[in-house]
Amino acid sequence: MTDEKIIEIINTSLAEEFELDSEKMVPEAILYDDLGLDSLDRVDTVIVLEHAFKFKIRDEGAVREIITLGDIHRFVINKIRDLGVTQSAQPQG
Amino acid sequence: MKKPGVVSLLWSIPMNLLVYPMIALWTLLGIFALPFLFGLCKIFTRWDNGRIMRLLIWFYGRGWVAITSPFVKFSREGFDKVATGRPYVMVINHLSFFDFYCMGLLPFPLGNIAAAVRSWPFKMPWYAPFMRLAGYLDVESLGAAGYLRIGAKILSGGGSVLFFPEGHRSKDGKIQRFFSGAFKLSEETGAKILPLCLTGTDVLLPPGRWWMLPAKVRLTALPPVDPGDFDGPSAHMELKKHTKAMMTEKVAAMRGL
Repeated sequence: MTDEKIIEIINTSLAEEFELDSEKMVPEAILYDDLGLDSLDRVDTVIVLEHAFKFKIRDEGAVREIITLGDIHRFVINKIRDLGVTQSAQPQG
Repeated sequence: MKKPGVVSLLWSIPMNLLVYPMIALWTLLGIFALPFLFGLCKIFTRWDNGRIMRLLIWFYGRGWVAITSPFVKFSREGFDKVATGRPYVMVINHLSFFDFYCMGLLPFPLGNIAAAVRSWPFKMPWYAPFMRLAGYLDVESLGAAGYLRIGAKILSGGGSVLFFPEGHRSKDGKIQRFFSGAFKLSEETGAKILPLCLTGTDVLLPPGRWWMLPAKVRLTALPPVDPGDFDGPSAHMELKKHTKAMMTEKVAAMRGL
């Protein structure tokens, strides 16, 4: 899966779950300030990503360091590389 | 929103001249009478302080409803299908500063409510001590872990917790995105969600306006939703979506859309 495809799946899944304006979904968007997510949404984000990419996210340091949407993109891209996940992933319906 | 008619505008003049001073008087009276009323309740009911305060606040809200009722037609429906002898996680759509006072429309047994709100209402010195005594939740200061813990404690003591899941007042009357807090609390405690739909307060007192207009305010209770009907790690998210869909449909119907 290409990085662009991964980013597209992340953005689509999050926009759908949290009813976000796709125009605001730029990599530098801060989750709390720009996208209006709260601390529970952070937990829900993990569930959304696990569902979209069919992998498990443990309580990893990298998750706690996520501040922007770009951080999520990088986290998932790295995770997929680490796991060698190749199965097709679909955004939530 | 529809432009108010001439009659409505004319009627709003005595409304604003009378209602605001009356509400100020009612608030002052409440502040001064509170120690006496609180003491009486303590002697006769033996309830804990939080429960007494929550019911006195409900009564204060009922006063707001009574004061505005010459100019506002209030109605409530759906409560005949709600078991009132149990605590709920209540969720209500948010249109106006007036919304919380409309909780005075709830039947008495449902008046034992602690509201989960943002920090700003706690900055009103004439309300803050009473809110704290009633166990109201400052969701911004407490954080998710804190308000879920305190909310669970209130529910286990027989009190309900009320959330405005949109977090902000809607500017167009339509329901906005829901935050997860209420639904997480429901899933963690097993307390049913009681969806409440409100219309008309956006005509009475919308965001950014302090001049009140006559309105018809309707409060509708939908059938409670059991969190046990949803499972898995995303159960609270499914519960949220289900509740929001119910409320969106009902609010649209109430607004005649």
